[in-house]
Amino acid sequence: MKNLKTILVFALPLAVGLFLAASCVSTKVAMKSGAQLWGENCVRCHNTPSPAAYNDTDWETIGLHMRIRANLTAEETRKIVEFLQSAN
Amino acid sequence: MKVRIIVVLALLSCYTVAWAQEETTQGYKPSSTQFMIRGYAHAGFEYQAVDGDARSTFLGSSFVPIFIFKPSDRLLFEAELGFFYNSRNEVEVSFEYADVSYIVNDYIILRMGKFMLPFGTFTERLHPAWINRLSNAPLGFGHGGIAPAAGTGVEVRGAIPVGSAKLLYYVYAVNGPRLNTGVDEPEEAGQLMFENLIDNNNNKAFGGRLGLLPFSNSSLELGASVYGGTVGDRNDSLYSNVGALLYAFDLSYVRQLSAVRGILDIKAQYNINNVDQATYFEEELDGSFTPYTFNNSSNASFAQLSYRPTMAGNDIVKNFELVGRYSNFQAPEGAEWEQQSTQWSFGINYWLSWRTVFKVNYQSTVQQGGHGVPAGETVTTNGLFVHWAMGF
Ligand code: HEC
Repeated sequence: MKNLKTILVFALPLAVGLFLAASCVSTKVAMKSGAQLWGENCVRCHNTPSPAAYNDTDWETIGLHMRIRANLTAEETRKIVEFLQSAN
Repeated sequence: MKVRIIVVLALLSCYTVAWAQEETTQGYKPSSTQFMIRGYAHAGFEYQAVDGDARSTFLGSSFVPIFIFKPSDRLLFEAELGFFYNSRNEVEVSFEYADVSYIVNDYIILRMGKFMLPFGTFTERLHPAWINRLSNAPLGFGHGGIAPAAGTGVEVRGAIPVGSAKLLYYVYAVNGPRLNTGVDEPEEAGQLMFENLIDNNNNKAFGGRLGLLPFSNSSLELGASVYGGTVGDRNDSLYSNVGALLYAFDLSYVRQLSAVRGILDIKAQYNINNVDQATYFEEELDGSFTPYTFNNSSNASFAQLSYRPTMAGNDIVKNFELVGRYSNFQAPEGAEWEQQSTQWSFGINYWLSWRTVFKVNYQSTVQQGGHGVPAGETVTTNGLFVHWAMGF
């Protein structure tokens, strides 16, 4: 029971946060290029792979894998994959 | 044997498809179904002196293949196996994760299966040998540590832009940890066992993480995680009500700074495990059992700083990296596994590709209590590790 209460304490602000957040749109990411987002995001856990490391179809798969693993936004993923496919 | 056949078959089928994909670049339209075999391997040499008593060994390579299937733009399956040698020279196969993800919409991803828990960041993001800047996991975070690794269940995760910041959320329900009551392993009484493919009770464990990236350049991420549930077995009258509540706080800062002409990378995590107090039994020499109890709280933490001069003019210098890490582990006082350890690790890495690294680490650990250390005594272990790790 104690556990449930603690979980609720975390879950409630989360739910409120999500509701508020879903109604805002990031202007900053919208203004950034795929190349910039690639430079900023893909270095956070491991070294940044160069676009030449994989072919177009592989980047689609890796893009989806990293979107899930790194919890990237849909827009970040789309822009980064497009950049990697255009620069490889 | 069976496992070997499966792996050989899987490898063969991948080569065929890889070859077919090759052809697509010569004019065929790529199929919507894609898959890859990726993964990593590592090997090395280790020298360790435990209070002056030296030992050294080469480590056989371990091989960790990862299978990624993408049946559509919204569906992804990932699975990881690990092949290692244990201390008896036998090959061990571990099944790290196997899960399906479905992109529900821009803000919601649904996952099911056995997945690595987003409890802090070390396990899910930093543990693979080609990502970890040092040769081993921080104290308390590796196998047998107090940090949960994978869970079997269901998870919802997503990322939401909030102005120029970003909020990450993770919520999951899994079978959850199981309490080691010490019946088979008296020296581990009170520890949590994290990998439960079949639940030991009808209470699911719940957990979640919130991550905040306050800056639009995503350089900083602050995270808080919680994970809890009942850990005792359903029909065990002594322990069926024992619950556990785990917390973790994490920090990550990664940025290329022209002031230092390179990438500065800071990672830190603090884990706290609280397990309800329970009575365990110690077997005496005459076969009788003596009950004992203790306040079952433990914690593990680490902070790591690394620097790579990516903006140096010289190509060789660019590939070097310096890393330092402090880590600390406190197991409960009064438990058979009571211990307090502190560790400092320093390393020089040389990157041969973005996923291949040659690591030379020096590490010093001071341990009080725990396996092989007489009560009240302090043991210092100094080690030199030379490892290579390659992601592929
Ligand atoms: C939050 C951490 C994180 C971020 C950010 C991240 N990655 Fe990864 N990446 C990982 C992990 C962890 C793995 C290893 C997966 C495993 O071993 O299970 C990985 C693996 C990979 C691989 C190997 C193939 C694969 O899919 O496993 C590629 C390629 C890759 N990442 C590219 C990228 C790119 C491109 C970006 C930027 C969009 C990125 N990563 C951002 C954590 C991250």
